[in-house]
Amino acid sequence: MTRDITVGQFLPGHSLLHRLDPRTKIVLTFVFIIQVFISRSALSLCFLIFLLLFLIACSHVPARKVFRAVRPMIPVIVFTALINIFYVSGDPVFHYSFIRITDQGLFVGFTLLVRLTALIAGCSLITYTTSLNALAAGLEQLLAPLKRFHFPVNELSMTLSITLRFLPTIAEEFDRIIDAQKARGADFSNGNLIKKIHAYFPIILPLFMSSFRRAFELTNAIECRCYQGGNGRTKMNVLKLSRLDVQAIVFFCVAFGVSIAFNLFFPSFF
Amino acid sequence: MAIIELRTISFRYGAGTPFEKQALQNISLSVDRGDFIGIIGHTGSGKSTLIRHFNGLLRPDSGQVLVNNEDIWKNPRQIRSVRFQIGLVFQYPETQIFEDTVAQDIAYGPKNMGLDQETINQRVLEALHFVGLDDSYLDRNPFRMSGGEMRRVAIAGVMAMKPAVLVLDEPTAGLDPEGRRNLLKHIEQYRRKTNTAIIMVSHSMEDIAEHVQRVLVLDKGKTAFEGSVPSVFAHADELMQLGLDVPQMTKVLLGLKAKGYSVDTSAVTMDQAEHELLRLFERKDHE
Repeated sequence: MTRDITVGQFLPGHSLLHRLDPRTKIVLTFVFIIQVFISRSALSLCFLIFLLLFLIACSHVPARKVFRAVRPMIPVIVFTALINIFYVSGDPVFHYSFIRITDQGLFVGFTLLVRLTALIAGCSLITYTTSLNALAAGLEQLLAPLKRFHFPVNELSMTLSITLRFLPTIAEEFDRIIDAQKARGADFSNGNLIKKIHAYFPIILPLFMSSFRRAFELTNAIECRCYQGGNGRTKMNVLKLSRLDVQAIVFFCVAFGVSIAFNLFFPSFF
Repeated sequence: MAIIELRTISFRYGAGTPFEKQALQNISLSVDRGDFIGIIGHTGSGKSTLIRHFNGLLRPDSGQVLVNNEDIWKNPRQIRSVRFQIGLVFQYPETQIFEDTVAQDIAYGPKNMGLDQETINQRVLEALHFVGLDDSYLDRNPFRMSGGEMRRVAIAGVMAMKPAVLVLDEPTAGLDPEGRRNLLKHIEQYRRKTNTAIIMVSHSMEDIAEHVQRVLVLDKGKTAFEGSVPSVFAHADELMQLGLDVPQMTKVLLGLKAKGYSVDTSAVTMDQAEHELLRLFERKDHE
């Protein structure tokens, strides 16, 4: 009630990436991740950056938003890159007691910087262009073959969609309980860490209680409708692969091949 | 002198975003000690937003909230002390209970005030009695009590802070008729005994008619009507248009008047209406 709760960061639109089937996007995201990890030479890294920029352009997502997704991870990225600088052997360019910095170290650190940034930016694109419900549906379809091995795919997707459905409700409840306890003089800003954690008990406990209550009610409602797992259930929106999906898959395969080729034929640093 | 006064407060949600929404506009209200004030309005009319301004959970975009003639936002760091003076009970307050025993849960507010244990114990007992529960409840587990009992414990938790104003958001929602009457009776007794001002949000026009002295009617974040109970319910047609209602007794009397009987339609409670109808019959007999 007091704030607009947006779960995920989906930006509605009609770009090429928006129109792709969620299954295609999930698979291609994995392909992209692998591609990030195999891009080791300078040339394939340049190609990766080019590919990423191309994808951002296709998604119609403002570059500023993509950067915003990367921003919280910057400390981790920088830390990882710095650590790697000191741990790679090669020709030293700087040497002081136990600190050795090699040219390979610098290169590896720099490439990690680029690769991790590209990784997070690339993964953010799927969340910007796919609604959470579409993602859940896509995941369910992708996992469907696992049913043969008695993997509870229906239950998993049901759980996933219920979770997504109730996140905003619980966030609202959280706000409400915080207000109620503040009205009784709860103080969340003063005191040391232990005190602060302690101050949240009066929020967390009622939140758990009401979530359990909601869960029981939901269970009853589901049973009243004779739900017995998803066997034989049909979908309102059936996912269909289109020509666009095929084109996207071909494009990614080619891009993947190009990356491997650059790695193999131009392995030198610069 | 008013204990709490709202001076033309306005509030917008999500200011500066595409979701901006004007929730309150130029609301003024003045509450004295011992007042019993009702707030009514359609769902989404801004009632819940308004009551969050009384104790500084929300800060108005413009206008002032004065407690004891002092702007509560003059020193935002001191806002907690305002919350002890203006007790706020939310809808379904039993959902905020978290302690193992009734006594501990009621003590949460007084403890936050930094009172000593002896005073806390005394206040817990006092508050428990105000809501009509006896000492045997002190060590009981609130989660094993009935909904109505939990509701009373939660209200006692706010009363134990001894606020000068007690704000209740639909205190009787979801209770059975007996529980409703009982709770309202105890709130009324509490007001008389302690001279605490009560502000009550309610959807029940009967409850409002029965207990309240003054009514504030909200519509789309603005004051639609404000005044004594009979003067507000005199606007029956307008209230209906706002999606609200008038007490059943008022409806009966208005119906009689429409049929040509000369009745005084300012009677809003059952007792007053009975009186008025008897008077009408007596006059008929005499004629």
